[in-house]
Amino acid sequence: MPSLAETQLLIRRAVVAGETASVAPLLVGGRDPERRLAIHQRHYESSLMAAIQTKFPATAWLVGTPFLDGAARQFVQQHAPAAPCIAEYGEEFPRFIGQRPGAACVPYLCSFAELEWHLGQVAISVDRPALDLGAFSTFEANTLMDTGLILQAGLRYLCASWPVDDLIQLYLTDTAPNEYRLAPAHVWLEVHGARGEFDINRLDAAEFVFREAILGGQAIGAAAACALDADAQFDIARAFATLIASGRVIGTIRPGRGGKR
Amino acid sequence: MMMLSNPRVLIGAGVGLRLPHLAEVVAARPSVPWLEIHPENFLANPHATELLLEARRDYPISVHTVGISVGSAGGIDHVHLERVRLLVDMLDPVLVSGHLAWSTHDGEYLNDLLPLPYDDETLRLVVRHLEKVQEALGRPYLLENPSSYVGFDSSTMSELEFLRELVRRTGCRLLCDVSNVFLSGHNMGYDPYWYIDCLPAEAIGELHLGGFTAEEEESEPGAEILIDTHAARIAKPVWDLYAHAVRRFGQKPTLIEWDNDIPSFATLLSEARRADEVAAEALAVEPRRALVG
Repeated sequence: MPSLAETQLLIRRAVVAGETASVAPLLVGGRDPERRLAIHQRHYESSLMAAIQTKFPATAWLVGTPFLDGAARQFVQQHAPAAPCIAEYGEEFPRFIGQRPGAACVPYLCSFAELEWHLGQVAISVDRPALDLGAFSTFEANTLMDTGLILQAGLRYLCASWPVDDLIQLYLTDTAPNEYRLAPAHVWLEVHGARGEFDINRLDAAEFVFREAILGGQAIGAAAACALDADAQFDIARAFATLIASGRVIGTIRPGRGGKR
Repeated sequence: MMMLSNPRVLIGAGVGLRLPHLAEVVAARPSVPWLEIHPENFLANPHATELLLEARRDYPISVHTVGISVGSAGGIDHVHLERVRLLVDMLDPVLVSGHLAWSTHDGEYLNDLLPLPYDDETLRLVVRHLEKVQEALGRPYLLENPSSYVGFDSSTMSELEFLRELVRRTGCRLLCDVSNVFLSGHNMGYDPYWYIDCLPAEAIGELHLGGFTAEEEESEPGAEILIDTHAARIAKPVWDLYAHAVRRFGQKPTLIEWDNDIPSFATLLSEARRADEVAAEALAVEPRRALVG
């Protein structure tokens, strides 16, 4: 008789991958318990497919429901959730669908789905009260350069080789023309959302690098150095003031101290 | 707006608060005595949590986990348990409950409540996990009887013996899902009235009612299997069984669960009112034993 761990491994295989033959002899219930176990398999697949379908309606609009559903079915069979919060499930789906057979003719598919994923994530965030420039009036210039900034939780920075923000706006505003030509172009996007709302802002490359570095935990001076690498004309004073004015900053991390909101 | 004189007591029938109704409940404050939530719907959703904390001001809350996998041979997911603990600390719910089942395996969450063999190995494991859960949450945990489609040839005790032993060894309490009793009885071939009669009445802290879906059993044309979909109104024979449970356990906090094809909140309220009516009638009349085949 298998141990509990061995039994659960067999059931896991049945539920996720549909391999029921090994576990069938262990089961009782009805005339054919192996078929009854398929109830769990169906629930696993349909509930997680529904989660993916709910999170990627724009991607379904782009590639068609059958293509998305096929990818979702394969995805749930190959990628079980890592945690019980299904809101967190599906982060790897954009890369997965972008590598599916047939996806090569939509080279921006992964970026588009990634943008959609992040729109969904930021929309369930909550904004906190933002700092204004007055909060920095007592900072010495050197101290300021060594200071980190805590940004709103509902912020993401994404760069893409295609203007996927334009494309998703067509979906969001239901204004897709009969024919639309998408040309490759680098875009640097700031996605912000809170309490059910979201917006997408295009940034220039240097400002994107600056804000992304800040979000990544770098101090203002170090983030500015990264931005200057991207563009020697980067204006740190303007970038800092713009960032503060945008309401994105909710706290500071002073050198040698913890974060303060 | 409903005002509650004692938000620490769950009286009558409450409803499961699901995300599609959250904003409506916060805005309209419908008259319902209490709400039950799945923490897994809120832990990764700060906006929903913010709204829930608003609702918390006016409604007693019960927390019903679906992700604390007390039956997993690989152990409890401590990260998830800690996340639940933080939410429980924020909400200070009246009750915290979960399932006699397993759902995690080797770092994966299988998004279902999967069956356990009832034997000594499983018993020792679930006892150990229940003790950890109750210690982490700092309160008794209510364990729900499963909805069953299959069992295990290796089981050496009945589900009732297993539950009674868990209560004895851990001090946990029981959440009797009356619909689960009914559909498991149908699917596994036992009398649901007998099952209710054998549960330790003193351990029952809450009752659940949910809708199920009947499907033709593939291997047995003409026979039906009942699926615990939570996607329909409570069936008439389950109301009858609920009346029996109320007579047996006394009036307990009762929850209307509806998780798929979710209807209007008003529909949930009407089901909750019916539960109150059935309970009142059950306590007012002589016991009547329904005949179950």
